[in-house]
Amino acid sequence: MTLFTPTYVEAASTLAVVAASHEPLLFLTGDLRVIAASASFCQAFRIDPAVVPGRTLAALGSGEWSLPQLSSLLKATASGSAMIEAYEMTLFRKDQPTLFLLLNARKLDDGVEGRVRLLLAITDITAAREESRQKDELIREKAILLHEVQHRVANSLQIIASVLMQSARMVQSVEARVHLQDAHHRVMSIAAVQRHLSIMPAGEVPLRPYLIQLCESLGASMIYDQRQLSIITVIDDACVSANASVSLGLIVTELVINSLKHGFPDRRPGTIHVTYRAQGTQWVLTVGDNGVGMPDGPAPKPGLGTGIVEALAGQLDAAITITDAKPGVLVILKHD
Amino acid sequence: MPAQTGIRDGDAVFTWQNITKGQQATMLQAKPVILVVEDQSVIRMCAVELIMESGFAVLAAGNADEAISILEARSDVKLVFTDVDMPGTMDGIRLAHSIRDRWPSIALLVTSGKTILAESQFPAGVRLFPKPYADQSIIDAIIALLGEPNA
Repeated sequence: MTLFTPTYVEAASTLAVVAASHEPLLFLTGDLRVIAASASFCQAFRIDPAVVPGRTLAALGSGEWSLPQLSSLLKATASGSAMIEAYEMTLFRKDQPTLFLLLNARKLDDGVEGRVRLLLAITDITAAREESRQKDELIREKAILLHEVQHRVANSLQIIASVLMQSARMVQSVEARVHLQDAHHRVMSIAAVQRHLSIMPAGEVPLRPYLIQLCESLGASMIYDQRQLSIITVIDDACVSANASVSLGLIVTELVINSLKHGFPDRRPGTIHVTYRAQGTQWVLTVGDNGVGMPDGPAPKPGLGTGIVEALAGQLDAAITITDAKPGVLVILKHD
Repeated sequence: MPAQTGIRDGDAVFTWQNITKGQQATMLQAKPVILVVEDQSVIRMCAVELIMESGFAVLAAGNADEAISILEARSDVKLVFTDVDMPGTMDGIRLAHSIRDRWPSIALLVTSGKTILAESQFPAGVRLFPKPYADQSIIDAIIALLGEPNA
């Protein structure tokens, strides 16, 4: 390293520290002449170390460091009116790739009046920037793909839902119509999970809005007069996995449909309560009504709905209890 | 309302020009007219049937350009129920803005499978229904805007 000593003799220790700095470093006078440059600086920006000392910053290399913005910032730093901290700068070089730099500068005050020294640290962030640009690009592509898939799923579910309802409208048999409407409710119950998932990025479904909406749409499509018969939901503020929410939603769908169908014949008024309480990993789901209750005599042959509830409860590792609540029926699913 | 005012075989759209004077007269004095705009033929067919069964007169278009031609040809459409993502020069968002500009009295319902849409992207007063929509919610919204069809 060659030294330039315009007026003062610089401390040898300072010069040694600058020269050896791993991070590209320039030691400057207040009028932006280079006293010393680190070897790392000369190497990173292809500057001949022999010609550095004594040159002005603007005269380094082929003049690529002659940047009005940089020199005014450095002068402001020298005068004490500014400080360069994590300042981003673009270095355009002749016949060489453009670099993105991060600059930090400090005024060194050693107590000598009129003797201003600046230390300028230059970090090349070109590679880091490119990496983060590529990462952003990938994240964006992934988000676009995800939205595209969600869009397709939603459209496919719409076709299924539309065809089921259209079949329900056209079919002659009342029993067949009810089956088609039930199938439609099951599709809509799963579709609602899909929608919540697409809004929640973490792959978890907030149970309260999901189950409330589910019960509202069941009520809207199945209850003749909502002033006479209503569904009341009391749901803890819990988030569950997509799989668990599909199961819980389908269970609620089946049990509410069952209550609406059998609990309130002849437009009998009443209420259906749906509750979900969670504590740690334990939870209890209940669906109860104050309808006509379970029929006397031998239990009727279980239908598809019962089969679905049992299968899903098994999957969730939950125990089912069905009680004659007098009035009505109470179904409890408990997971310990 | 004769069934011909809806659509047949998925794609043939009955516009104001290609129906008889008698049919035109029936339509004008009868039920409120709703235009369904949807490129997916099965969804469109089911939506047309759903709305017709609820007592409204229905026209159908497979894209926004067709919808505009229908609206230019006749003046009795009270509500447009449109999908968002459709081929052609306009999507449902642009269609909604275009209808609000040119025919401000027409009510608008929009449906989409896209989850990133917000009602704020549409003209004021537009109601957005994410797909899959519940049939009943569409009928409820239509009745809220136009009143009962037989009233």
